[in-house]
Amino acid sequence: MSRNHLQIIYSRQDTSPEPVILEVKRLTKSFTSADSEQTIALKDLSFSIRQKEMVCLLGRSGCGKSTLLKLLAGFIKPSAGEILLNGEPLHHPGPACCMVFQEDALFPWLTVKENIAFGLANKPMTRRQKLQEVDRFIDLIGLNGFGSYLPREVSGGMKQRVALARVLILQPRILLMDEPFAALDAQTREQMQSLLQDLRRQFAPTVLFVTHDVTEALLLGDRVLLFDKNPGRISHDIKVGLPQTRSVDNEAFLRLRTHINQQLKEE
Amino acid sequence: MRRVDTNIWLQRSLPWVLPFGLLLGWYLISSREIIPTYLLPHPGQVLVSGFDYILGDPQKGIYTGRFPGDFSASIGRVLLGFALATAIGLPLGLLSGRLEKVQLLLGSTLNALRAVPGICWLPLALIWFGIGLKTTVFLVALAAFFPIFLNAEAGARQINPTLTQAGTMLGMNRWRRVYRVLIPAAMPHIVTGLRLGMGISWAYLVLGELTGVPNGLGAVIMDARMLGRNDIIIVGIILIALIGRLCDTGLHLLLRLCFKSARRLT
Repeated sequence: MSRNHLQIIYSRQDTSPEPVILEVKRLTKSFTSADSEQTIALKDLSFSIRQKEMVCLLGRSGCGKSTLLKLLAGFIKPSAGEILLNGEPLHHPGPACCMVFQEDALFPWLTVKENIAFGLANKPMTRRQKLQEVDRFIDLIGLNGFGSYLPREVSGGMKQRVALARVLILQPRILLMDEPFAALDAQTREQMQSLLQDLRRQFAPTVLFVTHDVTEALLLGDRVLLFDKNPGRISHDIKVGLPQTRSVDNEAFLRLRTHINQQLKEE
Repeated sequence: MRRVDTNIWLQRSLPWVLPFGLLLGWYLISSREIIPTYLLPHPGQVLVSGFDYILGDPQKGIYTGRFPGDFSASIGRVLLGFALATAIGLPLGLLSGRLEKVQLLLGSTLNALRAVPGICWLPLALIWFGIGLKTTVFLVALAAFFPIFLNAEAGARQINPTLTQAGTMLGMNRWRRVYRVLIPAAMPHIVTGLRLGMGISWAYLVLGELTGVPNGLGAVIMDARMLGRNDIIIVGIILIALIGRLCDTGLHLLLRLCFKSARRLT
């Protein structure tokens, strides 16, 4: 067993551990292709996430990371195994597990404001409260003055800010992020990463963040799960244990990165 | 940037080149009597007859001042048929685009029916409904149904699945998703279908009215043929073209006025 293979290098001061919010038990997902061939995307996957934790799922493309997120969001059903959210099985997709998609998931006929307000329609709030809440989030994501723009009129980075705001406003129990910054240029990605860290400090959401970028995973995550291909499973569960504010040229950071890169190569 | 001015000029003037060119050609042909006036009347004559038909005192001639009555009869039939086609075609198209079972159920039958030219239904419609409003409305509704249905279906099928997933995730149940995601996302296709349907409505209106109804723009054309008034035939054709064009613009504006998605996506 190579689990916990990597020793914790720098351990953060341990506070009392938060309760487990998401538990995945022996999750398996297989697909049947058009010529009735079975592909196993995920096999016997088990892990859990604690409240307020940010877990990065790291792996090469095609290893089933996105399939896992879709299962957790409830968009597809598992072939076997269980997903427990606060101890209860997850049934339908809904605001409890919200997803930030890779790109192009904003409603193109709604303005930035209307996109952010979309999910509030079901909430028992007055119109005024909703408007105030939307304004607060527009301010948080730094898009003041862009509220009445359409998605096609703003940049890729701004779109992802809106995508983040429209789910955060619903206070999801788990925030699922499917390579949300992969389509952005390097500079914008850095800005988005620091925005995400700011928002985490304010809202302390539980996040499962999928990425194929080792640096990004180490920069953002409390834990990094390394994903293995064929069939998709978790090969390593690494506690990052770096201080909250991290820099890419820190020695411990570099050592950890080299180590993870080696692990990924070996697979 | 410096080409903008000429572009605007071109954009504004180009649509008028063809109508004016045709008019000029017609004028020259008629003035020199290359084609005799009993085949193609002089544009001046058509203009006079047109004024007479639209604005004249109804007591003073067969076609004088008949336009308001004909127009209201025709537009009533078009709108009724079009509304019927929309009421059936739009929901059915959206359903068929989203649910495979509905598509399997309807697809082949409707495609077979679509292959039948609308005019084939005329004899049967006459037997069923007799001459008049019902036959015309039936033909218009039947013809307008297909573009409305097919485009709504295509629009519903081509929706980016991420958008429906996002709708569900943000807490919309099935029914709310129809109004808040499905219809807006399919709106560009829906608008196209409705505009095509409106265009074809006018074509089938004339067909329905050629069968001997007492009033309507199609009826006037047929009536004028029997009395050898080809100037009135041309007046009718031009009026139908103009009204059809106005209906199309009006429909588009109305949709844009009523739906955010039509305003922002089309």
